[in-house]
Amino acid sequence: MIRLLRIELYKIFHRPRTYISFAITAAIAFVIQLAMLADGKSFVGFALQGVSEQFDIKGNVLNGYLITYLILQTLLIHIPLLVALVAGDALAGEANIGTLRLLLTKPVTRPQLVLIKFTASVVYAMLLLLWLAVVALGLSVLLFGTGDMISLKSDAFVMLLKDDVLWRYFAAFAFAGLAMMCVASLALLLSVFADNSIGPIISTMGIIIVLTIFSTLQLPIFDTISPYLFTTHMIGWKGFFDSPVPYTSITHSAVILLIYTFAFVATAIIVFNKKDIQS
Amino acid sequence: MKRLLVLCLLLLSFPNLSPAQEAENLYYKVRNKLLSVSDYIADVRIKLDVTFMKVPPLKGKLYFKSPDKMKLERNGGISILPKNSYNLTLSNLLPPGKVTVIDGGYGTFMQRKVHIIKVIPSSDTGDIVLTKISIDEANLLVLHTETTTRDNGTINMDLQFGRYINYALPDRVTFFINLKDYKLPKGVTMDYTAADDDMMKKAKGAKVKKGKVQIDYLDYKMNTGLSDDFFKEKRQ
Repeated sequence: MIRLLRIELYKIFHRPRTYISFAITAAIAFVIQLAMLADGKSFVGFALQGVSEQFDIKGNVLNGYLITYLILQTLLIHIPLLVALVAGDALAGEANIGTLRLLLTKPVTRPQLVLIKFTASVVYAMLLLLWLAVVALGLSVLLFGTGDMISLKSDAFVMLLKDDVLWRYFAAFAFAGLAMMCVASLALLLSVFADNSIGPIISTMGIIIVLTIFSTLQLPIFDTISPYLFTTHMIGWKGFFDSPVPYTSITHSAVILLIYTFAFVATAIIVFNKKDIQS
Repeated sequence: MKRLLVLCLLLLSFPNLSPAQEAENLYYKVRNKLLSVSDYIADVRIKLDVTFMKVPPLKGKLYFKSPDKMKLERNGGISILPKNSYNLTLSNLLPPGKVTVIDGGYGTFMQRKVHIIKVIPSSDTGDIVLTKISIDEANLLVLHTETTTRDNGTINMDLQFGRYINYALPDRVTFFINLKDYKLPKGVTMDYTAADDDMMKKAKGAKVKKGKVQIDYLDYKMNTGLSDDFFKEKRQ
């Protein structure tokens, strides 16, 4: 198993496409940081409009912690796309180039192969997140410094003291890992059904975009279903930037993401077990 | 007969003050006491109790120069004070210029007998329209003010004194301010909705949006000679 996992990781990290993902992640972070360096004041002025009408807010609001928070918003769409690029290609890519049948002639069961592909995709997703942490948090702190952090909600203004922020980022990245694991499992499931990788990648993104609209739009019809959608819980990392931290809600979201991940992987195994592999 | 005559002369020799003159005298006495401190630097702890704000108690240094300059520094951190907070300093409520003082009689505040006076600034260009001040006559201390402003509604301020009673500098000041509603579109903030339930209930429950800002003065350094330039905003 470990050897097969190594082979899978070797395959992932010897494809230029993998490094394009890392480059895109860095580019997203750089663009946001550059924009904030150039015109961050206007952004802060706009964001704090509702509060600054009534309160004088002074000090280094536009610090590295706030910029990192803005960059982390990309966890909803951009980073899942990059995770789907690899996870969606895991089985469908093999089928596309005709190596899947050959792979299954090795002494490995089909469920084992699915689990190895899933684990390799998760390792990739975690490394991508780690890279995001380095370029987003590390570089933002280097460029903008640290300070008290302001996090805005639709109905609240939350301020966190400088010494109380860093642990929240570690926790948020750990939670984001769970969310990306769920995205990887969905892409892998869709990958089982396809014989080329474009379909699963686009389908994964399509599902995430549509479900995010359901989760975000405040319409009564969506309110009924949104608590059951994994996209609603993918932003659970934001809970760590609330005060007090809603641990019950975060745990609930984490459990839902794990259930979805388990269901996607289990379904992928069942379908792949029954699949007639022709290429 | 002689004794009665002497007594009448003695009574006539004391000026018989009207309540209005008495109130004006009291006002000037309080103002002079406050003016004995031209500036101060104070270590403060600020607690904001506002429905839409989740801010931990903030520690910092509050710089003040009479009559209306105020600055809060938080060692590189973010400072938050009610808008136009300089209007909320006692010195500003007791302006050095000409004012009209109206006697409001006597009352009780925090179980202490207080003399109530109303102060109307002569200039009609400022934000303050009227200030109702409750004064502890014995110690010449302002214990409560109710200020009607043009743009910021009515602001109530409670003052508690202790260590710096001789300088009329409070140990604790509590502002009660009126607030407007705060709302940002959920599509912009992308709320993690599960976390907002308590705050939503609290905000919906409050009929009138009131906020409370409590400033605890931990230590004062008085008359340090702060310059006006110190209060000018640094360009970031």
